[in-house]
Amino acid sequence: MYCGECAGVCPRNLIEVRELTLKFNEDECKDCKICIQVCPVQALEKEVI
Amino acid sequence: MLETDILVIGAGPAGSMAAKHAALNGAEVLLIDRKSEIGAPKRCAEGVSKDGLKRLDVTPDPRWITSEINKVRLVSPNGTDVLLDEEKVKLSEVGYVLERKVFDKHLAMDAARAGAQIMVKTLATSMKTEEDGVTVQLEHMGNPLEIKTKIVIGADGPESKVGRWANLKTGLKPGNMESCAQFEMAGVEMEQTGCIELIFGSVTPGGYAWIFPKGDDIANVGLGVLSTRTDKTAYQHLLEFVDKYPATQNAQPVELNVGGDPVAGLHKELVTDHVLITGDAAGMVNPLDGGGIISGMTGGRIAGEIAAKAISDGDYSKKNLKEYQKRCQKEIGDSFKKYLKAKEYLLSLSDDELDSIANAFNESDFDRISPTDLLKVLLKVSPKAMIKLGKLF
Repeated sequence: MYCGECAGVCPRNLIEVRELTLKFNEDECKDCKICIQVCPVQALEKEVI
Repeated sequence: MLETDILVIGAGPAGSMAAKHAALNGAEVLLIDRKSEIGAPKRCAEGVSKDGLKRLDVTPDPRWITSEINKVRLVSPNGTDVLLDEEKVKLSEVGYVLERKVFDKHLAMDAARAGAQIMVKTLATSMKTEEDGVTVQLEHMGNPLEIKTKIVIGADGPESKVGRWANLKTGLKPGNMESCAQFEMAGVEMEQTGCIELIFGSVTPGGYAWIFPKGDDIANVGLGVLSTRTDKTAYQHLLEFVDKYPATQNAQPVELNVGGDPVAGLHKELVTDHVLITGDAAGMVNPLDGGGIISGMTGGRIAGEIAAKAISDGDYSKKNLKEYQKRCQKEIGDSFKKYLKAKEYLLSLSDDELDSIANAFNESDFDRISPTDLLKVLLKVSPKAMIKLGKLF
């Protein structure tokens, strides 16, 4: 159920939609959180280390 | 290294049409899809118009039609409904509700019969444009693979990588992407047979809810919202909707679909050297109703024809491919401009204004209503809403 909406709005094109998973390039992420905002099912969250 | 004339990335309706028409026009074509099964999971309500299929020379087939639609029921926030019946008023929306899992495969099979090669479970992971073509890195069944192609057609959905790799600015802002969630449900109690229901108002901020019947008591029940207008997810809105809406009180979900719907209109740039984008990747989605199957297939067909001609010409430059941009603008983009304005108007209306408009429509005679009569109705309902409309046009 990886729909790819997050990848469509990522301003830096850092999300790859695969058949069953999403692959994030976290090194380049600037933490804008737009992917989290648009997700239809709240599948994404910011990892706090 | 594999080699082909045209690589089509994405085997949705747009990609399969592109592959089919490129192959029919003499090109060597490879169509790839990242999924194991073309057409699944679906990411839409599955409605298409009869006129649209006819224009595309696609003969309706009972194997992929679940129900025929001849009525539209518009429901305002307080439950006032307006029934539009094909027998009384010309409806652009009459058509079919599809079984996309079958339909998409049917189109891919058509592409194969036209001569296209197909590879499933094949993901494009990167792309490099060179002077004589494009080298694309693939991952097939988990294994790396490289292909050299003269032209890439990106039909890889609203999350298009191809467009971005080619610097075509296909990325969307959240305000231009409807966030959608849908259940396929059993036990839906429809008021009318052969009727789609569209429900408007603050129940779906920035969008609308829909019920598309699929025969018996089965229906796609879904909605789209703009994440810029709500703090809840589309799924949370959907749960609230099915909990309250009369037709779904006794219904149970058998499938959940989610996805983004690009509603900003046709992208400004659809081609560059060696690359064309089509379907959702190119913004070929009606900004007003979010429908994109027919427009995507239209764009795909044009992409296939133009790409095959470029192969025949031996010229894969942006200049030679530009004809694609022109034809898409004429056949798809120009009408989208009007729909964009209509969407802005619709989204500017309050629940009260929507209720008033629904009431006024119920007092009108649809057999005889003209555009002038329609404007009179809107003016009577809400002069303020008319001012909003006037500012848009």
